[in-house]
Amino acid sequence: MSTSAIVIAIISFALGALLALLTIPVLVWLERRIAGLVQDRLGPNRTNIGGFRLGGVVQSFADVVKLLLKEEYYPSHIKSGKGLFMLAPIITFAAALLAFMAIPFADTLLINGESLRIQPLPIDFGVFWYLAISAIGVLGVIFGGWLSHNKYALLGAARAGSMVISYELALGLSIVSFIVTYDTIDFNAMVHYQSQTFFGFLPAWGIVIQPLASIILIIALFAETNRNPFTVAEGESEIVAGFMTEYTAMKFAMYFMGEYVAMNTASAVIITTIFGGYQLPWVSTQILHDNFLIFSILLMIFIPIIVGVLIKWMRKNNRVRPSVSTDSGRNFETKVLTIVMIGMTLLVEAILIYLNFFNESLLADSIAITLFQIMTFVVKLMMFNIFFIIIRWTVPRFRYDQVQKIGWQYLLPLALVNIFITAIIVVGVSL
Amino acid sequence: MSHNIKTVARPSKSFRDKLYLPAIGDGLKVTFKHFFTNLNDSNAIDTLEYPEEEPLDITERYRGLHRLTHRADDSVACVACFMCATACPSNCIFIEATEREDGKDEKMPKSFFIDTLECVFCGYCVEACPCDAIRMDTGIFSLTGNKREDFVMSKEQLLSHKGAFGEEVSCARA
Repeated sequence: MSTSAIVIAIISFALGALLALLTIPVLVWLERRIAGLVQDRLGPNRTNIGGFRLGGVVQSFADVVKLLLKEEYYPSHIKSGKGLFMLAPIITFAAALLAFMAIPFADTLLINGESLRIQPLPIDFGVFWYLAISAIGVLGVIFGGWLSHNKYALLGAARAGSMVISYELALGLSIVSFIVTYDTIDFNAMVHYQSQTFFGFLPAWGIVIQPLASIILIIALFAETNRNPFTVAEGESEIVAGFMTEYTAMKFAMYFMGEYVAMNTASAVIITTIFGGYQLPWVSTQILHDNFLIFSILLMIFIPIIVGVLIKWMRKNNRVRPSVSTDSGRNFETKVLTIVMIGMTLLVEAILIYLNFFNESLLADSIAITLFQIMTFVVKLMMFNIFFIIIRWTVPRFRYDQVQKIGWQYLLPLALVNIFITAIIVVGVSL
Repeated sequence: MSHNIKTVARPSKSFRDKLYLPAIGDGLKVTFKHFFTNLNDSNAIDTLEYPEEEPLDITERYRGLHRLTHRADDSVACVACFMCATACPSNCIFIEATEREDGKDEKMPKSFFIDTLECVFCGYCVEACPCDAIRMDTGIFSLTGNKREDFVMSKEQLLSHKGAFGEEVSCARA
């Protein structure tokens, strides 16, 4: 292995860990703010460090400190299986985190004839890795529920187990039809396939080619992540907190964070398999390479526009009503953030100008394209996370038997039929 | 079957209803509308930034913190009849009576304590008072303290509270 390969491997691993872990506080904050905005409230917006509230995201870090400092309470009625009881949340968290590691954040980078994957785990069987590892997550839930020696926890664990059985099938089968269509089990190759066009003008995204399988995949992943409308493993009104009834402080936080990492992973899988991954529609990496000048000039036009809109939005919203006497440093924060954003924009523009007019090396171009693809990926990821969150505040919960019915009676047969049709069409086209 | 029973037809379950996804789409339309409207102008959201903004819609009938009223000449209106303490369902009013020296009435409270931690703010004391001496029209809705003792209101504290709605003196004792 060359030095560049090692450097790229370390960078992409760090990037994966950062994307999975650093999004947790952001997602928790997003969930609370979006819930507020959907329900005509504001949500947490006060916590600040030296006047910097960043829209309230500091609240999540305060919550982490709170959870860390809480008493590590151990329920005294649990006599057997203490070790596994402590291990269970870690299993769930680790499984969600590891499943995220198979997602490519950008196209393979060519350095000195070596093609390097921008993927935390540089494997070419990502789909199988995801299916295998994400299914382990529920083991943590079942262990935790069983070892809590508590009826609610046991019921929650049983529900989680039955849910996994019913939705894992639909999920796997819908992914099979994607495998048949894309003819690969490599996430990166899936993204490559999706940067083609379909019928000449549509982007060949999974949602266009395989609408039914896409819907089944999204529904099954909602169930897989245990989020609304499929929260059956926990339910305030029926089984208290379900499998995490007996968990406190950091043990609880592990489950909690695992849930958000799982949501992040599900979003990543959805955008990679059906929404074109790190690519913009119609634009493949090759096109970006061939038209680097046009691409960078477009970037240089669009980045200031986006930043301008952001600054305008911030100036409008990061202030208090005239009726409030003190603005608690919001004006100062707006000023500083405006300066920082303008400075960063100027930096990016300078880099793009340098790349275009003073630089001859193709490697720098491809690194710039890789960074752009990572940005695209992150934006898409956050957009889909927001979709996940808004769904939670839109749809009421399904009853437990309805969840089972949807899984077995509708999604499973539909997924099977879809595989059939897909296989016939794929064989028919290739003949 | 009685002829009074009316059979209400269930709303039809059309194919669109069974699909369930169009309904989710309709729901998403509503939530996204709220989300984007509020995201665009968060100051227009009808909420109070509470500690900085105080509620303005406290009505005259709002039962806030208690106060003891004065007569027109600024002396205590209370005659220590114990009616309020008797009416109190949570037994949080503690009165000690003493003889009144200024000739206006026979008795007056020597001490008058209301334990606001026990109080349920039912307003029975106000209803029971024959002298219009105790009222809950201060408009004070938030009471804070560092220890339990801070919440036991003494006679002096209760007399110092001002009515929020104009009626300052007792209407029953001139």
